[in-house]
Amino acid sequence: MKPKDSLKYVAGPSKIFTTVLVLLIAVAILQSIIIQTAMFWKTPSRAEPAKPEKVSEEQKHLEKIRNSAKQFLPDGTIHLVHEFSDTPNVSDDEQKQQEVYDANGSLLWSGLEKNRPYEYLSWSEVPRGHDVFAEWRMKQIYTITPEFSRPLEIPVRSREKTEQVWRYDPTRQLFVGYRVDAGNIGYIGSTGFTDSISRAKSFGTFKRFTAWCPRDSFSPTLLWQTSRCIYEINFEKQQVQLIFESIESNITQIDLHKWRAIRPQTPQDSNIPYRPLIRCLTEDNKHHLIMRNPDRKLTVTVVDDGWNLALSFTATTRGIYLFRRDSERRIPSSLRKSPRLALEWLRKFRGKPYKQWIELYRVDDRGNLDLLNRHDWTVPARPGRVVEASPPWLKVKHCACQFSPPLYDLAWFVLGSEFFAQRYRGYNVVSELIGVISDIRPTNNLWNWLLGIAMAGFAFWHGWPRQTSRAKLIFWLAFTLAFNLAGLLTYLALNHTPIIKCSSCGKDRALGQVNCLRCGTELPTPQRRKLDLILNT
Amino acid sequence: MRFSALLRKELWESLPWMILAAIIFLAIGGFLLRAQVYYGQPIWYYSSLSPGNVIDTYQLIHYSPLKFTGPWLLVTSIGLGLVLGVRHFWIPLFTKTWSFLLHRSVSRQTILGAKLAAATVAFILSLGAVWIGLYWYTCRSELFVVPPPGRVFIEGWLFIVLGLVAYLGAALTALSTARWYTTKIFGLAFATVVICMIFIQWRLSWAFAMVIIGIVVLLSQIIDAFLKREF
Repeated sequence: MKPKDSLKYVAGPSKIFTTVLVLLIAVAILQSIIIQTAMFWKTPSRAEPAKPEKVSEEQKHLEKIRNSAKQFLPDGTIHLVHEFSDTPNVSDDEQKQQEVYDANGSLLWSGLEKNRPYEYLSWSEVPRGHDVFAEWRMKQIYTITPEFSRPLEIPVRSREKTEQVWRYDPTRQLFVGYRVDAGNIGYIGSTGFTDSISRAKSFGTFKRFTAWCPRDSFSPTLLWQTSRCIYEINFEKQQVQLIFESIESNITQIDLHKWRAIRPQTPQDSNIPYRPLIRCLTEDNKHHLIMRNPDRKLTVTVVDDGWNLALSFTATTRGIYLFRRDSERRIPSSLRKSPRLALEWLRKFRGKPYKQWIELYRVDDRGNLDLLNRHDWTVPARPGRVVEASPPWLKVKHCACQFSPPLYDLAWFVLGSEFFAQRYRGYNVVSELIGVISDIRPTNNLWNWLLGIAMAGFAFWHGWPRQTSRAKLIFWLAFTLAFNLAGLLTYLALNHTPIIKCSSCGKDRALGQVNCLRCGTELPTPQRRKLDLILNT
Repeated sequence: MRFSALLRKELWESLPWMILAAIIFLAIGGFLLRAQVYYGQPIWYYSSLSPGNVIDTYQLIHYSPLKFTGPWLLVTSIGLGLVLGVRHFWIPLFTKTWSFLLHRSVSRQTILGAKLAAATVAFILSLGAVWIGLYWYTCRSELFVVPPPGRVFIEGWLFIVLGLVAYLGAALTALSTARWYTTKIFGLAFATVVICMIFIQWRLSWAFAMVIIGIVVLLSQIIDAFLKREF
């Protein structure tokens, strides 16, 4: 076969691919415009707020108790701390007025926060906001932009100037150091500093990091988490310490408490002998506690129905504690997989009071839990308008999505909703496409199939007189059915040709085939004219 | 011999645009880089770090010194691609000179090959050479404390290849016999899609894979259209 002939097997599919891709994007843009316009113009009018009922002093007191912060003293006693948020002209937190109640609602103390005689346990927290640099952010800074990607650079500083800069290399997954006055220094990887790239070991797949300047340094120290390990990297001393390694499963979350040796944020904390703590939650639902002063590791398994992310730990020289907050309204993990069952569960509590509670556990040396204290309260039913009907723009979206290809639904069912939920963690073209597909998929609606069949019928009506082969016609019908509106437009763009009436049977026939499909008559030859004799000779 | 003659002809026709693109990019890129040398020493960025504080991790991200050069490289590259696409495929249509070119005793493949080779050489000589020069200039240790990452150099070449994608898009649009309000502009639309897709990539391998797929899709249609079309 000549290259020229074989080219048609590439060029043909390329043409179809180009056309359908452009048309799919055009249809998606059109759908988005329609939906956004509907959202803009069809905003439902807000119901008038319900008139406040008269509330007695006792009810007000109970409401105050319910809304108070529930705090634990180091001995396990529960206090309810109510803060007056409307104290005028007060910006400093320590100047805020507070009231402290016991678990029965009896007032124990009232005054300014800074004078409070009680010190409560503080808990491990997930670093948030700009304190933490997550995997998605790393992908974002390395995303190609017209201004190029942006590298992550860690400086090593003296009081006045930067002496070194360590740049993260995402390909090799290690840091490359540069001295301000003399070029390359070396490499920092999982095994520490080395001056040779061949000896440097990568850290592994990056997940997140947090950074702080120790009290005696102007240079950042990093707590660097990969999928299986946690490292502490001191660039000034060019040291890497492996804090934790999970052999069996990936790390899903880390919380910190007093780990970063930084200035205390509240004076109360300083009197409780805390130990620096990292809580590391792994995919097998084990909580790995890594402590310092002295160094110790402890694994705790909490049978908690998938609520592990909401648990907090703290460690003092007197013991290790677990704080757990829960509610009757929380959807059980068995129902969370089905949106319908989850919605039914929530409806069960709509307009009804429900219970919430907090628990304090002591963690013993073998990782077992011992309940120290518990406090529960009832959240009253919230009266208000229950919106059962969907907003009007959802109806418009529902209609617009019927023109989407059923293939989007197929992708949804084959790959699963979990796969689509992952798109928020990704940052590439596939993730973006998945996002669009999940937004405008037709949700396996009967109307979508009817529209698809109608379009395939139109394609059949259009294609029958123009067909050059039966297989081609069947391909285009299947294509139209699979891609819906974009498929029909692609078919028309690539197959529309003029037709004539057959001189023999009088039916429509295309010019692409010599013989009529119905009667087999050849295309009529034009009548000879005078000039033809001259041109043919 | 015939191919080299055709290549020289196409290069000669492309030369003014090559020189113009190189001058624009060199002048503006060089000026912006000099301004960066004068004003922007990255070591000043870290002055807010102080002992005993959690660091705002966003402070640790910095643009490369070539930050302002990137958009100009991209715009010049795409601009050069469009201009060369118009010069090689539209102008002969407007001036009805395709027949003069095609009646020569060379195959259509050779003519098309010469045009594509001329466009590739034009990109390498005009923008590629200037880009290498600017990157080399930025890597001099007396100018910037930390040299720009090697990744930035590759991304620059990716921008240059995007110009080639724009060229192929313009060529396919010119060669299409469809009406302008139907599928004629789909070549350019597809090139636009490929260019947009690159800017949501963070893996260079993915970006290059997408560009290569885009080039193959456009090129196969261009060759098919050029060999079959009646001019």
